Amino acid sequence: MGLLVLLALWQALALAGGGYLLAGPLGVASWLAAHGGLILRALSVTLANAAWGFLLGNLAAILLAAIALVWPRLLNLVGGLALVVFCLPLVATGPILRVLMGPGEGPQVVLAALAVYYTTLIPLLAGLRAAPQVWFDLIRSYGRGRWSELAHVRARAALPYLLAGLQISAPAAVLGAMVGEFTGAERGLGVLTIRFTRDLDVPALWGVAGIAAAASIVPYAALGWLGARIADDKPPVILSPPRIVRGSPFRKAAGTALLVGAVLVLWWGGMEVLGLNRFFAKRPDDLAEALLWAPDAARTRQVLWAATVQTLIWALPGYLAGLAAGAGLAILLSLLPWLGSLMTPLAVALRSIPIVTTAPLVVVLTGRGAAGTMTLVALMVFFPTFVACQHGLRQAPGPILDLFRSHAAGRLARLLHLRIPAMLPALFASARMAVPAAILAVTVVEWLATGRGLGSLMALSASLSDYDMLWLTVAVVTVMAALFHAAVSAAERRVLAAFAPEQTHA
Amino acid sequence: MAPDDHPPAAIVCAGLVKRFDNGMTAVDGIDLTLAGGRTTALLGPSGCGKSTLLRMIAGLEEPSIGGITIAGQPPAALCRQGSLSVAFQDPCLLPWLTLRQNIALGRKLARLPADPATVDRLIDLVGLGGFQQMRPAALSGGMRQRAAIARALATRPRVLLLDEPFGALDALTRRQLAQDLPPLWRHAGATTVLVTHSVDEAVMLADRIVVLSPRPARVLADIPVPLDWPRRPDLSEAPAFRRLVQTALAALVRGGERSQAVAAQ
Repeated sequence: MGLLVLLALWQALALAGGGYLLAGPLGVASWLAAHGGLILRALSVTLANAAWGFLLGNLAAILLAAIALVWPRLLNLVGGLALVVFCLPLVATGPILRVLMGPGEGPQVVLAALAVYYTTLIPLLAGLRAAPQVWFDLIRSYGRGRWSELAHVRARAALPYLLAGLQISAPAAVLGAMVGEFTGAERGLGVLTIRFTRDLDVPALWGVAGIAAAASIVPYAALGWLGARIADDKPPVILSPPRIVRGSPFRKAAGTALLVGAVLVLWWGGMEVLGLNRFFAKRPDDLAEALLWAPDAARTRQVLWAATVQTLIWALPGYLAGLAAGAGLAILLSLLPWLGSLMTPLAVALRSIPIVTTAPLVVVLTGRGAAGTMTLVALMVFFPTFVACQHGLRQAPGPILDLFRSHAAGRLARLLHLRIPAMLPALFASARMAVPAAILAVTVVEWLATGRGLGSLMALSASLSDYDMLWLTVAVVTVMAALFHAAVSAAERRVLAAFAPEQTHA
Repeated sequence: MAPDDHPPAAIVCAGLVKRFDNGMTAVDGIDLTLAGGRTTALLGPSGCGKSTLLRMIAGLEEPSIGGITIAGQPPAALCRQGSLSVAFQDPCLLPWLTLRQNIALGRKLARLPADPATVDRLIDLVGLGGFQQMRPAALSGGMRQRAAIARALATRPRVLLLDEPFGALDALTRRQLAQDLPPLWRHAGATTVLVTHSVDEAVMLADRIVVLSPRPARVLADIPVPLDWPRRPDLSEAPAFRRLVQTALAALVRGGERSQAVAAQ
């Protein structure tokens, strides 16, 4: 019903706007009908890449979770490494993978895998620990050990979490594959998108975006349906931040140092073991040289710094606007329930669309400047935040709501004193998870369209084969994302300690 | 339910002290010998450390000082043999299993062969016949607790540990189970330890009451309960029953006053 209204509105807008930027559904449908073969071929390539990435990424997530389960001491390190890899800018990782793996579908598959594994790993880690302590006491009281815990409790308790993770990773796999196709593949929906952006072929762009959206929504919905049939217990929304390090400041510093050390060793060791050429497979010491004591180091630093500032100036306001809009709309709709029941299914559907794949469209619509970039970043942050905040607002405990009602407290009082505090954990959790997403969005737009910032620097370095600079941008973006993530996590822990103490023990 | 081949298992606690990492002392010097096949109630105020004592007997906590043997073995050995069962305060049913599967889980975890007849009989006995295929979420708190007791009994344990077994039950069910359950564990020859803060329940269910002080738990009084089995519900009106309740209550009150005096100093 809501969909029909939306379609009608869309067509009306397109007719009013003269169809220059906005192609109506009729126009898009006729374009798709005329180019069915082309679309189908591209779609099958993208879907195959996404499916392989989905498979490999989720297997990797399950393997990592198993490692953390067997050796609990490694949990912090595994979680930390997983986060660092998750913070890698997919955009720049694409071209690096391209030179490492050569032509073909390899980079797209790897990017799809990189895009999915974290969103499966985190719920899985939480799910494997989601059982109350008494269940483990029960197992132990029969003299059984870890394997029985796993067989009778953990595996089953984690199932809904795993299914939730798999569901989220279906659209993410499409996103990863398409980002790979944006940055130098030969076939696929991403390649078509780039071509139509150059030609400013508006109906074609809308058509491809629509197909990409459908390719994301359909598996998302299918996995949701399947998940509901397999496990009828819904997992709670996972809010507790992954504990990278806990304990005294000294132990935290030691844990962070260990993590940085592990990243450097794995990076350097991996390259050496694979025997990759230093010309394009840079080691940490190559980057240190380029940044610190090479003859043109000062210039490198200057270029890198300027691009970083440029990226931050656009990404930060978009990120904050997305958070504010998501939380704000959720609050507004909680005051207007009739509107909420209309909007929520739509938002849930839209959330599953990988917004980044529509980047070229947004750029065409809003221009190649600040507005387009910020809009895309904001959109990227908005949908997950909105859905999570709506969920959070409903988390206000029933008995306390009754207490408020018994004092005849109005809707506003309940909102201020009960619902908004109950929403804060969800808001902060989405703020944390949105950091890499926002960075992905801004670098994609910069790469494709704006010609400024780190994304553009990545594109330039890739086309000039300036691998020092390319690797440096990857390193800078990763460190930046990890630091932001850590900062939001720190704020989040304080909020959780105050408003949801039960979440901080998980 | 036929008695096991094993002789009744006596539980010996020697010089038990439990101090937690945060410095809190929960149990402070307990020496007890619990005769095999008998039922002992650990009676004490809330938070006194009686559950910690029970958890040590179950092998779930290691004592800081002292030790526990059951039939001459450490508790963990009995756990591994599947001859020790705990019914926790939280009924602790797995939400994805049906009631029947939850009760059968006890035997599965103890690596005993499946015994559908016993499981069904226990389900009827705790008054849950007809609910076998329900999930725990669909059951009331009292029904879940009865299921947990049935699961504990399903392995025919030599040692049965009950932590506030009737805590969530209504008065009527409580009365019914107090009537039905003791014959089960007594007939099986199980050495039973139950933790409770209800004086009447302790007198009704046990052969012996060990009254514990407020935290840290020490033995305040050791009261034999020489009432005949089977005990009928109207026994609670009998003068002998009331006298035992008065004795236990007096010990509890003295302990409370003493600990308040200590705290005031």
